[in-house]
Amino acid sequence: MTADPSETPAGTAGAGTADLTLDTKVAAADVPPEILAQSLGQYLKAWWLQVRSGNSGVLPVVLAIVIVAVVFEIITPEHAFLRPSNLVYIFGLSTVYMVLAIAETLVLLLAEVDLSTGAVALIGGVIAFKLVQQPGPDWPWWAAVLAALACCGAIGAIQGALTALLRIPSFVVTLAGFLLFSGILVVILGGADSSVNLNTAVPNQNVIYEMVQGLISPVVGWIILAVVVVAVGASLWLRGTARRRQGLVAPPLSLTVIRIALVAIIGAAVVIICSINRGSTLKTVAGVPWVIPIVLVVLGAWTLVLQRTRFGRYIYAIGGNPEAARRAGVRVPAIRIWAFALSSATAALGGILLGSFFYGEYSTNTADPGQLVLYSIAAAVIGGVSLFGGRGKAIHGILGGLLIGGIAFGVSLLNLGSLSTPLTYILPGGVLLAAVLIDVLSRRGAGSVTRV
Amino acid sequence: MSDYVRRTNNEEVPVTADPGETPAGTVGTGTADLTLDATVAAADVPPELVAQTLGQYFRASWLRVRSGNSGVLPVVLGIVVVAVGFQIANSKFLSAQNLVNLFEQSTVYMLLAMAEIFALLLGEIDLSVGLVMGLGSVVVAELVQPTGADWPWWAAIIATLLACAAVGAIQGTLVSRFRMPSFIVTLGGLLILEGVAIIVLGGSLVGIGNSQYRNEVALYDIFWGTFNPVVSWILMAVLVVGAGTGLWLREASKRRNGLETSPRSLTVLKIALMAAAGIALVAICNVNRAHFGTIEGVPFIIPIVLVVLFACTVLLQRTRFGRYVYAIGGNPEAARRAGVSLPAIRTWGFVLAALISGIAGVLFASWQVSLTTNIIKASNSYVLLAVAAAVIGGTSLFGGRGKTIHGVLGGLVIGGIYNGLYLLGVSSQWIDVVVAGVLLAAALIDVLSRRGATGQA
Repeated sequence: MTADPSETPAGTAGAGTADLTLDTKVAAADVPPEILAQSLGQYLKAWWLQVRSGNSGVLPVVLAIVIVAVVFEIITPEHAFLRPSNLVYIFGLSTVYMVLAIAETLVLLLAEVDLSTGAVALIGGVIAFKLVQQPGPDWPWWAAVLAALACCGAIGAIQGALTALLRIPSFVVTLAGFLLFSGILVVILGGADSSVNLNTAVPNQNVIYEMVQGLISPVVGWIILAVVVVAVGASLWLRGTARRRQGLVAPPLSLTVIRIALVAIIGAAVVIICSINRGSTLKTVAGVPWVIPIVLVVLGAWTLVLQRTRFGRYIYAIGGNPEAARRAGVRVPAIRIWAFALSSATAALGGILLGSFFYGEYSTNTADPGQLVLYSIAAAVIGGVSLFGGRGKAIHGILGGLLIGGIAFGVSLLNLGSLSTPLTYILPGGVLLAAVLIDVLSRRGAGSVTRV
Repeated sequence: MSDYVRRTNNEEVPVTADPGETPAGTVGTGTADLTLDATVAAADVPPELVAQTLGQYFRASWLRVRSGNSGVLPVVLGIVVVAVGFQIANSKFLSAQNLVNLFEQSTVYMLLAMAEIFALLLGEIDLSVGLVMGLGSVVVAELVQPTGADWPWWAAIIATLLACAAVGAIQGTLVSRFRMPSFIVTLGGLLILEGVAIIVLGGSLVGIGNSQYRNEVALYDIFWGTFNPVVSWILMAVLVVGAGTGLWLREASKRRNGLETSPRSLTVLKIALMAAAGIALVAICNVNRAHFGTIEGVPFIIPIVLVVLFACTVLLQRTRFGRYVYAIGGNPEAARRAGVSLPAIRTWGFVLAALISGIAGVLFASWQVSLTTNIIKASNSYVLLAVAAAVIGGTSLFGGRGKTIHGVLGGLVIGGIYNGLYLLGVSSQWIDVVVAGVLLAAALIDVLSRRGATGQA
């Protein structure tokens, strides 16, 4: 799991590797730059090499987010797009897409696809909402959330088993699943015109309502931010020094410092934006929505699982080359089933957040499961997850979700009259096609470099 | 799949039969035993090529079914099960009135399934057929509006078909030239089409139900109009005689040229079956099915679907293009090395899929009479039924295996399930659940039969 080029044997601090990074372009393009680089300059050069060879990572989506923000700020009436109240609304809206995109990423990494994500998410949301109803089951909120995750996990496991064991193509299994669960959704809602609501007066139900709608007071927000930055910084710093002590290749110190600073700056920006009063002078509305730390926990958990566990490595291995993974002793069907199950469980969390975002109400009109799954695939692919498996990270889902949420909200801000409904379909479709085109072309670029 | 390529070579190369035991150009005497010995080869060759008598033909067919090449058998069984099951549950199911209703509803599924088959045969998938249909229906309805474009109905239909074909060309180009995965291209495509269709719709509603305007009436009659009973009989007779003569003459000329032919008794049987099906259909449609007044005769859409079926069958089974489609679906790399231009054939496959979806769109407009934003959104769900109908009919999801007739039969099953469950008062969400189950079952059969087939080979 360390350096690929044989020029840098593990265990020796690579002195004199400075030139090799540029000579062995082919190998360098395939290796994370922090492994090869000894100084910040080398790191940037190695990173640029990676971008040029098609491994552009988060760069395109970050650029796209900047462009979308600037363009909408210019063209929206009264330049309202970047107002704090709107930004916080975009965060709330985007979190649903972010979580669903992470769910979809898990499956895409295996070179499969899950078209039922939207329907499963809605089922998860409705299950959780139904279980806390009073009169009704009146379960504690955490038990209801866990039950929703477990139910959807089971759904995912079944679909995964059909794909992994019987080798029915995943898009057919999940297409049928989409139809099936869209129908079952209406059944458990209790009919076509039924809805299920959270009663905010009941503390137990209010917890779920507050997931997206609730705010952390600004002071607590700053404290949480400080804790997060210190924790992330300490772990990054300690990992770097530990590796260096043991003579392993480690990212240059300056890079670690920059990373910690970036986390701190982005975090501070979010807290500052959220802490501005976006209510009226009479009623103050300020603070970070609870959903932001929730999404960060999801991101952190999936980043850890994908990057630091054996399960995660196996997912990348299968996505890269299933036959090679099988011959290396990976139990491919088991990993596939687990990935589908965990993806659906993550989707269920997205569904619960969706209900909370719509002010604690779930009806058949809350969201179209078909559109939801398209948005989540689009978010993952736009974020930089490859459709062909083996390439992508949880952070890509987050960034892609933010972009989709930003576009969806930006269009609704424009006074387009009858055009605004069609545009909510056309823009994500166009962005999806553009993202896949970039994915295909960059893969072609990557292929040509390796072949040289 | 190799059989499809070879077997349609009649005109150019006089080589047909696959097993080396039957040299081309000689009337194969003594092949009777070979058909049973060379089990593996026989399973790959259409039974009419190896069989010399009706008995041999049935044995060869059975061999093929056993080896996973079950063709239309499962779907025919499915139709029987659906018919018997629903008839037991509700005695109205097989009434003439309901059957005609069922045929009419099924035509949209049939057309979309035939469209989907062009993508599936290539080993691709087209998820946008539902919305291409939706877009087509809006375009054709808008073009004949007397207050708007006010085009003659035939010009509106042609323009609609061209527009849909153009959509297919764009999607096909993205798939074939850029090698973007087809399910993503058509997923993004359907989103864009949904938006475009809503823009074309403009307001909230467009209708073709005004009986004062000739062009609207012409469109309306495509789905709702019928031939009068006498004309129905005459048309049926002409069709059966025409098809029978064609079949007979082809066999006769093949026999004269010393090529492999199917046994005469089989040809007679096929013609008889065709005549029986035609007579049954016309007899059912000629029963008066109105509660008040008279509605009788064969609906126009039935011959329309038959024409599309015939055209697609000829295109796929008797032309070079069709052979290339099967070749690409079976093994794209092999097809490429054999000199087939993959991008061109793939693009044309998507164009044809979109074109047939456009025909479905014209029917859809006629069927719905007035179109709203919600109907456009609902048209998306038809793609699932189209894939389900094609796969249930016997088309493989993995490319290279299937015929247009599978789409028609699969569409009939889907239409039967919808119609039957609706008759029983089952709510729409449970109907979706049943259809999903049927789709999964069909996909499972496809996967298992493929496994069986590769196991044999």
